[in-house]
Amino acid sequence: MKTTPTRLLLIVFAACALIGAVGRAEIKTCCAEKITSESTALALSPDSLYQLESHFTDDTGQTFTLGELRGRPVVLNMFFSSCGYACPLLVTDMQAIRGQLPAAIRASTIFVLVSFDTDRDTPAALATYRAQRSLDKSWKLLHGSADAVRELAALLGLKYKQEIDGSFSHSNLLTVLNAEGVIVHQRSGLEGGLPATAAALIAAVK
Amino acid sequence: MTPRPFLQLSAIALGLWLGTVRGAAANGTEQGSVLIPAGFYEPLIRSPKDLAKKPVAAFWLDEQPITNGQFLAFVRAHPRWQRSHISRLFADSSYLEHWTSDLNPGTQAPLNVPVVQISWFAARAYARWVGRRLPTTAEWELAAAAGYTRPDGKNDEVLQHDLYAWLARPVPPIQSTVTTARRNLHGARGLHGFVWEWVDDFNTALVTGESRADSGLERDRFCGAGSLGAKDSSDYAAFMRQALRASLQANNTTTSLGFRCAQDFSPLDPYSPR
Repeated sequence: MKTTPTRLLLIVFAACALIGAVGRAEIKTCCAEKITSESTALALSPDSLYQLESHFTDDTGQTFTLGELRGRPVVLNMFFSSCGYACPLLVTDMQAIRGQLPAAIRASTIFVLVSFDTDRDTPAALATYRAQRSLDKSWKLLHGSADAVRELAALLGLKYKQEIDGSFSHSNLLTVLNAEGVIVHQRSGLEGGLPATAAALIAAVK
Repeated sequence: MTPRPFLQLSAIALGLWLGTVRGAAANGTEQGSVLIPAGFYEPLIRSPKDLAKKPVAAFWLDEQPITNGQFLAFVRAHPRWQRSHISRLFADSSYLEHWTSDLNPGTQAPLNVPVVQISWFAARAYARWVGRRLPTTAEWELAAAAGYTRPDGKNDEVLQHDLYAWLARPVPPIQSTVTTARRNLHGARGLHGFVWEWVDDFNTALVTGESRADSGLERDRFCGAGSLGAKDSSDYAAFMRQALRASLQANNTTTSLGFRCAQDFSPLDPYSPR
């Protein structure tokens, strides 16, 4: 198997020509989303989503990990900003849930939107979406790596798939997390269930 | 677009030639890899938006599934993935249940047979540890579409016989070793006939789990579900793989579900697998 560098190079080029390999950019994701390290001192519940240490970026360009939500109840939804059907409805539903919360709980609840569209939903695109939908600072809009997004979706039990036209087919799933990042309620589909979701959130705070 | 047979065979030969010298991680996870040449994946079930043939770039694929011995090296290095330490979020209660203890696979799990009863999270964590990743559905299916002696495995009678004989057998209490399994045309062993394997994007299979609802997915539960049509209704095994992926949650483990790793092929570094 010893070959001269020149010969090796030739073989390599031949290989490329033969199989038309696309030299996909080598993205070594080593540390972006290692889940907790063994030394983590703050004991999280074994069911807490905040064990996920993936880094996201919010719509102001700041790095963000889900663990930063700890201490506050969360309504979480995955979406993409160019979605024409379900996602706008789900955001409207989240606003409706917010309207059903007592003032004190409403003030502490965070509404999180994580985009599937890792290519197009850049922080700037998410900022535009925030403006279009008039979302105030109780909303967190997050962009993540394809890997981080897939892992989060897997934790939520959410299926999604990118279509050839760039849009996404996806489960419609609103998730409520308690202050420790544990899933306390999920609402599947697009109809009904909002009072139950609000009630689950209120119960989680008490 | 499809490469001519000569080119395809040459590429496969090159892959085998490069693949033979693979191996060499110093931590007990030595693993041969084979080069799967670029090709086209034909999704079994696709929405009207999907291409009938999806291009797949060349990539490295482990020659065989990860074994109990290799997985043992991993949990030894990362105690949080040991059976008694793992979070239920990342693996259900039957995770490595057939092992005797945390660090002893025992008689039900010989070191040289594929590890099963591992979750998607665990498979991914292992892959990351060895600097690789799980293959995508498209990659796995492309690699597994090859027969023993011809590129189109579905017309390879011997392979089809082996595959369906396996599907007809109950899951054995102890898995068999893949080391001596017959190689397919790409040099990969045991893609069919041993264990099911996790893919990275298993959660792209948009099925509700309720079989009666699958033919016309509820528009409310899935955005953009649209209508689905299967390309080849005779490919029973492919239906089973699709159904399995669709039914899984990422923390699930089963007695016949294992995994192998993949890695991007870099034309500038043909020896990239470690």
